[in-house]
Amino acid sequence: MAVATEPDAEARTKKVRGGNLLKQEQRLAYWLLLPTLLILLLIAFYPLGSVFYASFTDRAFASAREPQFVGLQNYSELLSMKIRELPAQIDPATGEELTDPETGETIYARPLDILPREPRRYKEAFQLGLFGNRYVVGATDPDFVLSIWDTLLFTFSTIALETLIGLGIALTLNSKFRGRGTMRAVMLVPWAIPTAVSSRMWEWMFGSTRTGFFNVVFQRLGLGDGQIPFLAQESWQLPAMIAIDVWKTTPFMALLLLAGLGLIPGELYEAANVDGASKWKQFTSITLPLLKPTLAVALVFRTLDALRVFDLFQIVLAQKKYSMASFAYYQLIDSQKMGYSSAASVVIFVIITIFAVIYIRLLRVTDD
Amino acid sequence: MTDVALDVDRVIAMPRRGRDSKTTLKRIGFWLLIVVIAVYLLFPFYWAVVSSLKAESQLQMTPATFIPRSPVDNSIAITFQNYQAVFQNEKFLRGLINSVIVAVTVTAFALVIGSFAAFALGKLRFRGKTPSLYVILSMTMFPQVAVLTGLYAVIRALNMPAIPSMILSYMLFTLPFTVWVLTAFFQALPDDLMQSAEVDGATPFQVFRMILLPLTLPALVTTGLLAFIAAWNEYLFALTFTTIEPNARTVPVAIALFTGEISRQEPFGEIMAAAVLVTIPLVVLVLIFQKKIIGGLTAGAVKG
Repeated sequence: MAVATEPDAEARTKKVRGGNLLKQEQRLAYWLLLPTLLILLLIAFYPLGSVFYASFTDRAFASAREPQFVGLQNYSELLSMKIRELPAQIDPATGEELTDPETGETIYARPLDILPREPRRYKEAFQLGLFGNRYVVGATDPDFVLSIWDTLLFTFSTIALETLIGLGIALTLNSKFRGRGTMRAVMLVPWAIPTAVSSRMWEWMFGSTRTGFFNVVFQRLGLGDGQIPFLAQESWQLPAMIAIDVWKTTPFMALLLLAGLGLIPGELYEAANVDGASKWKQFTSITLPLLKPTLAVALVFRTLDALRVFDLFQIVLAQKKYSMASFAYYQLIDSQKMGYSSAASVVIFVIITIFAVIYIRLLRVTDD
Repeated sequence: MTDVALDVDRVIAMPRRGRDSKTTLKRIGFWLLIVVIAVYLLFPFYWAVVSSLKAESQLQMTPATFIPRSPVDNSIAITFQNYQAVFQNEKFLRGLINSVIVAVTVTAFALVIGSFAAFALGKLRFRGKTPSLYVILSMTMFPQVAVLTGLYAVIRALNMPAIPSMILSYMLFTLPFTVWVLTAFFQALPDDLMQSAEVDGATPFQVFRMILLPLTLPALVTTGLLAFIAAWNEYLFALTFTTIEPNARTVPVAIALFTGEISRQEPFGEIMAAAVLVTIPLVVLVLIFQKKIIGGLTAGAVKG
């Protein structure tokens, strides 16, 4: 293009040289890209392929035995679920339903007796009550099924809270005030702390006696007896994980949103002020729509990140409750079941890919 | 619309004094909000610092005190014994050295290799550019855990020691990100710069090395910092690859597996001291380079 503006004769020689240059440029480009692509081949594509392959075998670590091809067996063991109704226990004497003499609640049959045992044994994953009936969901590997459920719950809760709090922080910091730079620096502190370190800080704060910060505060507020086992009691575990993660990642969200807010032209608000639009009206009709692209990108980043959560669960809860990633880790390192762990990794990969594809679709729609 | 009009009416009708007190109230509310945000973000770190300055007996006090107090007469009592213990903890010190080696090497490799690729993608014309860009972009979202077993198998098969394995595997999350951000910077540099240098007879590589690279120095600093922090904080690969080689553990793993030399129960005072020691350099780094870091973090996201 630049060549076309040159005088004719020069242009021709240029063109020849340009052609050589182009070839030279192309060759250089390939050489420059080569190291990156080779490294990614070695540490991403090849391992991913071998994970897929291993997921169809019973390969184990530190074992001399040749791995056998087992087809989909790993997957069916990971994911098989059965749902059964739990009948109430019948008093053999009266023929009536048994109830707990203290609480008056119906006593149901033991899930162990109801769930199928042959050819494979199903263990209870969780129970649910529906229309007055009680159901038990059994799985051949309840730990993995629950890890998927817990990770999804964790992801949705943290993302929702982070977005709300992050938006609040971003809107507050977006006004001009003294110390704005300091506040932005403060926001980077939780983000910069290694997750391993912040997990242990919070583990200490969640201590199960009043040596822990939260038990002190809860007791002062009249909640609990100062002995709440936040990390040992099932019903507190996930909320505790969510609290830690929200603290750690909200600043990142807020910083992204703050940058997005900075891109909205100030004249829009001036015009809205002249027109007498209320602050709330300005927020819903200017801020939110214009922030949508940033918000969307931030959501993608955070969701894909939350779905692969590992450090937090492994450090604070170890094997008390798994995230999908910590389940795969323990299968590999503790049980040495490489094939099985690989199958779990593939399931994680597929779930994350589904989310990524959904998001990319949604983003494209908002772009148009 | 009606409530908009109402709002305006109210503002206009409001007597001057009332308006002033309203803005004062608003300002107080605003600063209160700022304080709440700052406390929320900094409190866990404050709690770690306070706990690290308490002796074992003070840590066992119930209720826990917000400043280190003596269990006997409730006077303020600070001890540095946890820090002394941490500095004598060989595992922790070795972890620091390992972390520095790993993070520095990863950053250097990611920047050198990444800037090569970014220059090609940002400034050179060649076939297959778009697919390459897509591959690298998709890699920035790649879940590490998905390749964990495969990568571990590769490393065991190659008989690679833990430290080089960590350096190699950390490229998985530092390299694509570096390439992606640097490509954007190279693209933003004017094309005539390269063309005029080429007319003067410079090869594209000379243009890269002598003209474009110095211009992207700020971007290199930013991405380098982010790569360094990511490598410093990484846990999953470090934990897995050092299972059979405890001497190669990095700081996050050392802290996660921290046990006291003497006491049997978990020595949280020492853990907090170690946590504070690891965090302080990062906080200092972040405070010095905050503009660059924020710029780098948001570069990929906000351009949309």
